[in-house]
Amino acid sequence: MTTPLLTATGITKDYGATPALRGVDVRVTEGEIVAVTGPSGCGKSTLLHCLSGILRADRGSVIFRDQDIGSWSEAARSRLRRTEFGVLFQFGQMVPELTAAENVGLPLLLAGSGRREARQAALDWLDRFGVADVADQMPGAMSGGQQQRCAVARAMVTRPRVLFADEPTGALDQLNGEQVMQAIVRTVREEGTSVVLVTHEAPVAAYADREIVLRDGAVDPTGLGVAAP
Amino acid sequence: MSTAHVLLGLLAGGPRHGYDLKRAHDERLPQAKPLAYGQVYATLGRLERDGFVEPSAHEQDGGPERTAYTLTHSGRDRLAQWLTEIEPPAPYVTSTLFAKVVVALLAADADRARDYLAAQRAAHMARLRELTAVKSAPGATVGDVVAADYAIGHLDADLRWLQTTLARVADLQKEVTA
Amino acid sequence: MRPATLFRLSTAGTRTDTLRTVLTGTSAALAGTVMLAAVTVAAVQGGEPLEQPDGTAWLAPGAEHYTSPLLREPGLRPGVIFGLLLLTLPVLALAGQCIRLGAPARDRRLAAIRLAGATPGQAVLIAVAETIVASILGSAAGLGIYLGLRRILHEPGPGGSLRLPTDVFPDPVPLVAALLAVPVLAGLIGLIMMRGVAVTPLGVIRRQRGRGPRPWPGLAIAVGILLFNVPVWLSDRMVLSGYVFGALMLAGAALVMVGVVVGTGWISYTAGWLLHRFGRGPVTLLAGRRMMADPWNGSRTLGALLGATVIGGAAMGYHALFVTQGRAEDRFSVLIGMPPDPEHAAFYVNATRLVLIAVGAGVAVSAAGMLVALAESVVSRRRTYAALTAAGTPGRTLAGTLLWQTLAPLVPALGLAVVSGLVLVRSLYHEVTVGGGTTETCTDPAADPDTCARTVQTDPVVTLPVPVPWEQLMLLCGGTVLTMLVVAGIGMLVLRGSTDLEEIRAV
Ligand SMILES: Nc1ncnc2c1ncn2[C@@H]1O[C@H](COP(=O)(O)OP(=O)(O)OP(=O)(O)O)[C@@H](O)[C@H]1O
Ligand SMILES: [Mg+2]
Repeated sequence: MTTPLLTATGITKDYGATPALRGVDVRVTEGEIVAVTGPSGCGKSTLLHCLSGILRADRGSVIFRDQDIGSWSEAARSRLRRTEFGVLFQFGQMVPELTAAENVGLPLLLAGSGRREARQAALDWLDRFGVADVADQMPGAMSGGQQQRCAVARAMVTRPRVLFADEPTGALDQLNGEQVMQAIVRTVREEGTSVVLVTHEAPVAAYADREIVLRDGAVDPTGLGVAAP
Repeated sequence: MSTAHVLLGLLAGGPRHGYDLKRAHDERLPQAKPLAYGQVYATLGRLERDGFVEPSAHEQDGGPERTAYTLTHSGRDRLAQWLTEIEPPAPYVTSTLFAKVVVALLAADADRARDYLAAQRAAHMARLRELTAVKSAPGATVGDVVAADYAIGHLDADLRWLQTTLARVADLQKEVTA
Repeated sequence: MRPATLFRLSTAGTRTDTLRTVLTGTSAALAGTVMLAAVTVAAVQGGEPLEQPDGTAWLAPGAEHYTSPLLREPGLRPGVIFGLLLLTLPVLALAGQCIRLGAPARDRRLAAIRLAGATPGQAVLIAVAETIVASILGSAAGLGIYLGLRRILHEPGPGGSLRLPTDVFPDPVPLVAALLAVPVLAGLIGLIMMRGVAVTPLGVIRRQRGRGPRPWPGLAIAVGILLFNVPVWLSDRMVLSGYVFGALMLAGAALVMVGVVVGTGWISYTAGWLLHRFGRGPVTLLAGRRMMADPWNGSRTLGALLGATVIGGAAMGYHALFVTQGRAEDRFSVLIGMPPDPEHAAFYVNATRLVLIAVGAGVAVSAAGMLVALAESVVSRRRTYAALTAAGTPGRTLAGTLLWQTLAPLVPALGLAVVSGLVLVRSLYHEVTVGGGTTETCTDPAADPDTCARTVQTDPVVTLPVPVPWEQLMLLCGGTVLTMLVVAGIGMLVLRGSTDLEEIRAV
């Protein structure tokens, strides 16, 4: 069961004169968790954005299910992100004026579900992440850990094939971070979702099946992520 | 770590045979290095000599395997004292990892040291994944999780040290070979 | 805190702060210029009938050289002053509302100042001081503009006739009052606006009241309309000076405006609740929740606009009144066999048309304020927008949300504003009556006028209802909504910039 689900080849991305990625290859198979690590500024987030179709790479291809999503329009990639992909950031992705349940149900509403359906699904997912009790609270009234769990629920509510997470525990203390990671891993294993997990913390990367280390915008085969002086 | 004190602690609940003690030790301290029988009896011998344990009254005869031990009064005091004692925080910096890097620089060169560090990092990561799998497994007990957490914390510290040392290998070499 | 410190802290800032300061200053300059024009008109003397000892009446000298009867006739001048002052109200509202433009940078600065040990009062003072300083600068600029305009517009015609009172200078007391009124009022409005804003060391919190806003401001509108009627009612029973008359009406109009602006909070909340409750898709959910979360946003950003449209509604009421008056007089002339005097009616109609042009300018100015406010609100929420985009929310949805949350409170509030303005006038006059006077003449023209037999001749009566100026109302509302659509469109461009994933990095 090692069908490649997402294959990126030769991803190159510059920000003006700053090269952020210089020819990165990544393969993510069905149900696999891949960690992307490396020192700050090495291009982890940029890689994640290219893989998830948020950014378009300057060169190289991103193939998802035999289709080069790099050539798709913004609207098509947008649709892909809300159906087949889930995205998760460090913090601040909840809409502050919506309750937890409304936030989690939002992707379903966007996909055309009815209010009631969306709410029911949202409650189920909040329950799976142990935060059903905050369903009717606004994000401002929740702890960072609760917010992040809601964010995971929102990313998973459409049952995506790939979850892209950028430092999902970066703003949490160790125990909360661990609980969030446990919840993510348990759920994606049940759902068979693949994960691309960007982190700079070894214990978080250890949840992955495999680790890709970046250094200065390229994969570092030594896994050290530090330049030889 | 003091095996003797762990055994005293295990005996605090009542008399036990040497075999029992080994089983209890391995169960309560999962992921620790398992105790050898020989070590159990040797340690019990020393504890008996110092008057901290004594054979249970009923089963005086028979070989050491057949003897159940019980905690004496001074054994109890010793245990209590141990539990209140503060462990000196890292009194000596002794680590094979650290020693190896220095020796590699002395005996070979920076590349050698760097190769070692890279390989060590890979091994640490592999072990970290193993331990994470142990504690994330569906049937993991709290004991498993606590034990894994302990090791993960230390491996993480090692990894951070590895990472920063890698960046300092060249400078260290200058200092070592000066 | 020394004044120098206060000045330094309240003027420190980034580009957006500069923009806000410029906007505050500009509106203060505008209001200042208009107020100076008002006090100039107040300085004009002359035209009152003076009883001469020989029984004839002369007109007092001083105003006869103005071409416009608005300046020549003493009975009309208070009306001009009243109209000018009325126009400054929305502009003042704009100056005041600038203080709440939610510039994130300024909020962070205020929080940092608190963290450095400032008391909550000092932090608010710093925020308000910025408005006051900007208004003082604006007032000074207004004075400059006023003096410049006097020069440019001073064009004596043949025989020394003047179109504008560029030959009189305001008395010093009203002059200083006009210059200080803007900073003082803007500062006061600013203080009121900062109520409910807690500047904590950890950030600026716009306090939400537990329950949504209530519809009480409706009462203020009703009281304002009553107050507007009081001088007319009183003048039937006693002699009122033109200034008391004007002041009472001004107070009534101001009260109506405040009621409309504050009432927008309730409108916004209720509209949001309805959208949230009965809407189906994500757009109505997002927009409705946003309106409920911050119902005062509408009051803050639309204040000046609504003020201008209240005046617009009132001006339309007067316009309709004068047009009807003209028609009635024409008809009366026909009935009594005199040629109609087209000049007379046209004069008033033109005067109200001027006001309407000014209202248009007011709408444009407040649209600028609205644009800045909208842009600020988008920018301050850019992280959320960027995260939503990353999660695959189509730009269409976000744009739709922006459109809803702009228009849903605007349209009903606009209706309320225009109708209140119109009712203000219609409560006074809803029909026009001309004629009906009686003349007694001697049946025999040759007889002694004191003792002759008389015939009483009653003039015909022409009564016309003042029509509701539907077309113009539609035009005003349509124009304003269109302006706001343009504003929302520009806001969407800002939105597009703010959904850039870079914003995810911004904290
Ligand atoms: N918008 C931008 N403009 C210019 N340079 C950028 C921009 N975004 C990223 N970069 C640069 O690209 C490189 C890679 O950035 P990226 O955010 O992908 O790193 P990262 O590995 O995620 O870092 P961190 O661990 O700190 O999040 C960095 O050198 C960064 O300075
Ligand atoms: Mg990053």
